[in-house]
Amino acid sequence: MTLKLSSYRHRLPLSLSVAAIATAILMALSLGLQTLDNLREDQGHNALRLGHAMSEVLVQALRHDDVWLAYSLLRGPEENVADATWLLVDETERIFASNRPARYRLDQPLKEAIVWLPTSVPWHETAALGRVHPIATQPDGTRRVLRLQLASDGTPVGELVGLLSDAPFLGRFREILLGGILVTGGVLLVLLPIGWLWGRRMASPLTQLASCMALVGKEDPRRLRYLVPDSDSEIGQLGRQFAAMLSALAEKEALERQMVQAERLAAVGRVAAGVAHEVNNPLGGMLMAIDTYRQAHEIDARTSRLLDLMDRALQQIRGSVSALLVEARGDTRTLTAQDLEDVRTLIQPKLACSSVILTWRNGFAAPTNLPAAPVRQLLLNLLLNAVQAARDGGQVQVELSAEEKRLLMRVDNSGLTLPPEQLAHLFEPYPEARPKAQGLGLWICYQIVSQLGGTIRVMSEVGLTRFQVALPLRVGGAE
Amino acid sequence: MIQARRDVLLALGLFCASRAIWCDNAQADAPGDRDTASKTALRFGLTPVILDDRIAFLRLWANWLEQQLNRPVVFVQRSRYREIMDLLLRDRLDLAWICGYPYVQHQQALSLIAVPKFQGQPLYQSYIIVATESPFESLSDLQGRLFAWSDPDSNSGYLYPRFALMAQGHDPDHFFRRTFFTWGHRHCIEAVAAGLADGAAVDSYVWETLALRNPELTQGTRIILRSPLFGFPPLVGAPGLADTDLQTIRRVLLAQEANQTGNRLLGELSLDGFVAAQPSLFREIARMAETVRPGSAP
Repeated sequence: MTLKLSSYRHRLPLSLSVAAIATAILMALSLGLQTLDNLREDQGHNALRLGHAMSEVLVQALRHDDVWLAYSLLRGPEENVADATWLLVDETERIFASNRPARYRLDQPLKEAIVWLPTSVPWHETAALGRVHPIATQPDGTRRVLRLQLASDGTPVGELVGLLSDAPFLGRFREILLGGILVTGGVLLVLLPIGWLWGRRMASPLTQLASCMALVGKEDPRRLRYLVPDSDSEIGQLGRQFAAMLSALAEKEALERQMVQAERLAAVGRVAAGVAHEVNNPLGGMLMAIDTYRQAHEIDARTSRLLDLMDRALQQIRGSVSALLVEARGDTRTLTAQDLEDVRTLIQPKLACSSVILTWRNGFAAPTNLPAAPVRQLLLNLLLNAVQAARDGGQVQVELSAEEKRLLMRVDNSGLTLPPEQLAHLFEPYPEARPKAQGLGLWICYQIVSQLGGTIRVMSEVGLTRFQVALPLRVGGAE
Repeated sequence: MIQARRDVLLALGLFCASRAIWCDNAQADAPGDRDTASKTALRFGLTPVILDDRIAFLRLWANWLEQQLNRPVVFVQRSRYREIMDLLLRDRLDLAWICGYPYVQHQQALSLIAVPKFQGQPLYQSYIIVATESPFESLSDLQGRLFAWSDPDSNSGYLYPRFALMAQGHDPDHFFRRTFFTWGHRHCIEAVAAGLADGAAVDSYVWETLALRNPELTQGTRIILRSPLFGFPPLVGAPGLADTDLQTIRRVLLAQEANQTGNRLLGELSLDGFVAAQPSLFREIARMAETVRPGSAP
């Protein structure tokens, strides 16, 4: 797996880890340097305190020429682990005693013994307080020099020189540093996986959103909505906005589809109506001509047969054309609850021969101002269609109700699920998907519903296909 | 450090052993023991002729002596021979373990009680030592070098080396570039091992004992000259020490090696026992003292 650094999925945890490591290193470094500084300072203080403590006896040793006394004092209890190199210098600036006697010999001039040592400061009252000077690191590791003037009765008798190096506490410093590194490493060991997981968790909604956006235009927006991350963070807000956008998009698409369908159906309706009118006019003339001819002339049997043939053919054309031309507003009688119950009665024979079980719930009672005939036809068509779709032994359920000044009709059947492409063309006359059906039932339903200003919807899922009609009830009976 | 701890443990062991014996005696001789405390204490002076820094051991030895002498024993220690000598000559001490050199100087005033036996005889030597890594092979190689004396009243650490230099025709006061006193044979060994001095003169008894107990210390030194044998530093009585006391003390000391606890204590001192001796044992030291007299003061 290659790490793509451009992705937040890697960048976020990586930067968290880098930040954690950088912080740890910087902290360890600064603490380490601070510790080293403190250790050096402490060493200086301790050396100065020790120098002051020893000064009285050292003065005595110098005055009494007691080399052994000075040496045994400077040597301390444990000569090999001494913190500093001590040199006791007499007033002629020659070494009198040292805790490194093999290196700094008795009577050796100080200038010869330590060539880099700055010349001693002239005698001054403050010099008796002693000072620790930092110097450039010498080959023997000396980094600081302590100089303490020794005086007896205000007169200088010698000087105590201490050479301080980091060596005494370097081991301890290394231990501290190692301890710090180990602790930091341990903390990092815990923090890094947590940071990595946290980073991934933070980045995952982003990547989820990104992959979701990449699918826009390829996938159904309604399905995409379930892939959008949901949380209270800014990314969550972004996700919600995106989901809102997706649903708006889906709504728009659905609306567009409906509009296209409605326009197509309207165009087909107009064509059908136009053709019907165009055909009906000459048809009426031709039928009238045949009738007139019959009345005005003696007709032999052969002619009569011919005229009958023509008459029947023309009547058939008129029937077919009338079927296309739905006139919902023609009836002046208004719909009552009884009309709807009539439909139930009318469908009984059909039910009997197909053994479909009908569940009928009529919650509609009041008379309406809807025209009776088209609504009866509408319900009958829907019912016939449902019984046919339910097939033998199936179930059909009808529910009628009035709600918010609308008449609602719901017709369910337990037939086969209709594929989406079939649903899209369901209301068209002579649909391709159902070549065997007569083909005008649902077309007529659609025409009636649109002429009455209502809506008709169909949905189909496993075991249930539902037609839902809503017709507005005009108040006050204006028409 | 470990050595020191071992010494303490051993000392404690000895202490317990001696307490046990003391208790036995106490039961047998209760009235005598009761007046141990009431009697005047025996003041016993010690000098660095022995390893006088072993306090726990000295306490055990004092206990043993108390029990033997039936009177309290107090050890008095001073860093310099001369201070002990002053105290002894002024009868501020009853007896002292001193060097043969001050003994021969005050032979008339002091009485010889006993001399310890070291390696089977009441004799010892002076060793001239140098650092192990140093190039020096003989005393004359140390000309113009740093030299550590032990004590101006020490035979092995001062008198003999001066005598030896004079015998070789040198002026002991100007032969070395610089000399200093360390006030102890052990210090001399330390000074040479550390490089503070190029050479030093030490008591053979102290060097050999340290070679057994602290070999890491003597390993830093090398012996380049062994003197002839001299009388071992003796235990002497003060001018005012009563003869009966002297006899009692001598009897106890001479019998120490025969006593189980006393013998163990002698073992701690790396000594075999005490013997009675004649002043003639120190004749050689007296002769050297006579030779170097004009320049005896440093």
